[in-house]
Amino acid sequence: MSAERSGPGSFGPSQPWGELLALAEDETGERALLERLLSLWCANHGASAAALYLDRRGAVEQVAAVGRGLPVLLAEESLRQAEPGRVRLPGGWLLFSPPGLAGSMGNDPLPLLLASVLKSARLRHELKDQQFQVNYRVVELEALYDVGLAVSATLDLDRVSEEILLRAVSLLDARRGALYILEDGRHRLDRTFGGEAGRWLGAEEPALAAFLAGAEAPAELLPGARYLLGVPILFENNPRGMLVVGDKESRRGVGPFLPGDRRTLGLFANQAAIALENARLHLRALEQERLEREMQVAAEIQRRILPKQAPPLPGFQLTGWNRPAREVGGDYFDLFTTRDGVALVVGDVTGKGIPAALMVSTLHSALHLLLDQIGFGPALLERLSRHILESSTANKFITMIIAEVNPRTSGLRYVNAGHNPGFLLRGDGRVDELPSSGVPLGLLPGSRYEMREVPLEPGDLVCLYSDGITEAESMVDEEFGNDRLIDLLRRHRDEPLAGILDAIRTEVGEHAQGRPQGDDQTVVLLRRDPE
Amino acid sequence: MTESLNVTVDRRDGLAVIYTEGYINNQGGEEIARVAYKLIDEGFKVLLLNLGGTKIVNSIGISILIEIIEKMIEIGGRLGFCCLTPTIEKTFHIMGLAQYAPIFSDETSAVAELKA
Repeated sequence: MSAERSGPGSFGPSQPWGELLALAEDETGERALLERLLSLWCANHGASAAALYLDRRGAVEQVAAVGRGLPVLLAEESLRQAEPGRVRLPGGWLLFSPPGLAGSMGNDPLPLLLASVLKSARLRHELKDQQFQVNYRVVELEALYDVGLAVSATLDLDRVSEEILLRAVSLLDARRGALYILEDGRHRLDRTFGGEAGRWLGAEEPALAAFLAGAEAPAELLPGARYLLGVPILFENNPRGMLVVGDKESRRGVGPFLPGDRRTLGLFANQAAIALENARLHLRALEQERLEREMQVAAEIQRRILPKQAPPLPGFQLTGWNRPAREVGGDYFDLFTTRDGVALVVGDVTGKGIPAALMVSTLHSALHLLLDQIGFGPALLERLSRHILESSTANKFITMIIAEVNPRTSGLRYVNAGHNPGFLLRGDGRVDELPSSGVPLGLLPGSRYEMREVPLEPGDLVCLYSDGITEAESMVDEEFGNDRLIDLLRRHRDEPLAGILDAIRTEVGEHAQGRPQGDDQTVVLLRRDPE
Repeated sequence: MTESLNVTVDRRDGLAVIYTEGYINNQGGEEIARVAYKLIDEGFKVLLLNLGGTKIVNSIGISILIEIIEKMIEIGGRLGFCCLTPTIEKTFHIMGLAQYAPIFSDETSAVAELKA
């Protein structure tokens, strides 16, 4: 430090007024001017060091100093009492050392000059602070805009959640933060910043509800944080989670959040709510898409299960048709060659859609495997029933009629496991039924079945069908019924089988009068050639 | 997530690079300031702040960075920033830091420019 000692209290024409004026005129020379004034003050009072402090934003910051040993920041508490080595100035303090020097300024005009420059510095700092606050509001608005863009531009909930939490923490000058998502009535910690947070919090806990309304936070929320602020994440007034920040920072440490901070945090919570809703809808759409893909695959599998054409059967005509009510169905039919002839099968699994289609697949595989092992007869269905019972969920069963026509004997053997009775239309117009002799497959353990045999005369027509035909309802809930089906068979009995199938499709459709098909529909027709 | 700021320094010929990792808040800002002022005391007049490891900065941290910039201007030195996230770069532009301390996308170009 250079000291130009003129004696305490003296400040005369010998002082460097020109230099001081030049420094004052330089807009960037405020600190240099203050240091020069402090240097002069030291010289006048015999001090080895002096520093000037400004009261600013509740802190007392050093703005200029000469010499060494004086603190950069002063604690407010330490300035309440007058002590040696300090002089109170308007808007600040002058500290000097050694502190034993006289604090009286006498007629020394230097403190007045210092106070004047200090006031100027204070105004400049206030202007800077205000500009800073204005700019920071712009940052806040931009952050909300950016988060809004991110929410609308991506369905990556992980990325958006992190963005929201980081922005909320930084814009609120928080030291910590956490984002919770409501799951099964509890708040699950999705992510945290700046320290640990409780992993699960009961959404119905009174303490948590009170906290979100402005009361004290539960201790487990952000352990160790002294000041917390939290807002619910709401979508259309339905809670979806919670956004929490802790310990608002200032230059002096941490403190409570300001009233306006709740509103700012709420704006981020709104964005989080939209992001969560978008993600939920996206997941649902993906799930729907996946189900549709699976349904298409299942439908394709089911199409492959159904016979593409009837096996050759000399002296007979044979055909089958199926139309599921949905993409995939629970009806099943098959036509295949056996050791003694050709088998005709119509089955109906309880329920619809994928579960029913899976049962159909199981039935198809088991039927063919067991038929090879056991051969046609009641034992086949008894074994099949046990297999279905063991491999299916509760309340799942299958009605099924299986018949085998032997072209050498023209006999028709059949076993009916709880299925609609097949119809055998005789040449003279009589109709014999092929009734059930047991419960549906997979319904009860130890089920027993009976095989029956009927001879087929030339021109006899056999019709096996599912209840989707006879129970097809009109607009007034009237079923198509057995009588209409039998009447139709009688009217069209001499037509090619394809014509009879067309007639069934047409008349059942007309009966429904446009009512959506409620159940799968299946028909198998067999006719012995007329003589 | 990083909770506190880690600061490392690479002293080079006529320039020092300060690397940060973590939150530039009050504590983080003070740590950067402490390191920067120490480098100034050592005689470094050109500083580069590489914020590649920082994703988040608050208003207290920004005010401290402004003080460091002011200090550098006062001593006739230069300070630059590099490797900022888009969010932090936008914030620095709005807050006026970019007006007094240039922002570079990468360290190589920053060093070349600041030493020129």
